[in-house]
Amino acid sequence: MSELSKEETIIGQLRGILEESSVNDLDWDTFSSATSIEEIGLDSLTILDLLYDIEETIGISLEAKQVLKITTVGEIVTLLIAEGA
Amino acid sequence: MKEIRYFIEYCLVRVALFLFDILPYRLACKVGVGASTLYWWIDRKRQKVAIGNILKSGIETDPKKARSIAKKAVHNMAILVVESLRSTDFLDGDKLFDHITLKIEPDAMAALEDPEKGLIIASGHFGNWEVAGHYLSRFKPVAGITRKMNNPRVEKLVKRRKSRYRFRPIPKHDSNTLRFLEVLEEKEILALLFDQHAGAYGLMVPFFGHPAATFKTAAMLHLVTRTPLCFASCKRIGPMQFEIKTSNLIQVKRSGKKEEDLRNILSQLNNDLENVIREDPTQYLWAHRRWRDGE
Repeated sequence: MSELSKEETIIGQLRGILEESSVNDLDWDTFSSATSIEEIGLDSLTILDLLYDIEETIGISLEAKQVLKITTVGEIVTLLIAEGA
Repeated sequence: MKEIRYFIEYCLVRVALFLFDILPYRLACKVGVGASTLYWWIDRKRQKVAIGNILKSGIETDPKKARSIAKKAVHNMAILVVESLRSTDFLDGDKLFDHITLKIEPDAMAALEDPEKGLIIASGHFGNWEVAGHYLSRFKPVAGITRKMNNPRVEKLVKRRKSRYRFRPIPKHDSNTLRFLEVLEEKEILALLFDQHAGAYGLMVPFFGHPAATFKTAAMLHLVTRTPLCFASCKRIGPMQFEIKTSNLIQVKRSGKKEEDLRNILSQLNNDLENVIREDPTQYLWAHRRWRDGE
């Protein structure tokens, strides 16, 4: 799988996860690597939910501390690819 | 105006501390209990909440007996304050071991003694949770959330007085997940009281058979970081005598269904808390409105 399609697949998976848990009124059709974590409404507590869901859906266990520092969806994707997604 | 009020409060607390210092322990407790009786009569709202909670829990069905439990629970909270302020008398050095009885499950003890492992301890407002935090910090540093007092002068004074050994308070306003993760990464103990109304952050799990919004943090941290988790309590068994008890480590295999896993863990924690409360209902903080919705 090319890097680009891999990235698109992961973004699709993340959208699926986040769409279910987000409490913010977000236009999910505009969801992309540029979408900010703040826009989605993730806080330090819901980030643990995200980590659980990522591990179950994508099969990658991310370090919680790494994820707490990220600001965009693209950064999560980069992190996941670096971890072997 | 606020400054004057703070100053008056500070002076009153200083007088109270002076009295607690010079009075023998048992007499200091009696003074504390007297003051809490006064509070009991003044704060009718809390009185009503506490009695209502005891009846709802099913621990007591007779309103008169429920009232007696609620009143004793207020007295016990006053004793907790005296114990905490006098803690240097008995918690420092080896004197501690004359005051503590341990009932720690072997797997929880192994986690406490393992320098390579962090530990999440979940507990409730039962007995004297401050003594438990202090004692457990003998194994490794303990971090727990503490609520800052509104009056900064009193906060500073009380902070100076409390013997904490290796207990590191995390102020409530700064209690985000990053701080918790740092504690676990350092292989320390993270102590969390989970039995207050969690509102939107909680999951509805039965507590004495009634749905209660229960904090998920301890369970989520366990599921995501795989740090061992257990329930602990510290029951008062006599004057300045405590029994610290833990559950076995909670072993929940991830099912892939997050809510189911959380419900499983939180039900165990609520169940463990119910059991210790049943042992002595007068040592629980009944005045908190934990059941606010869901029914």
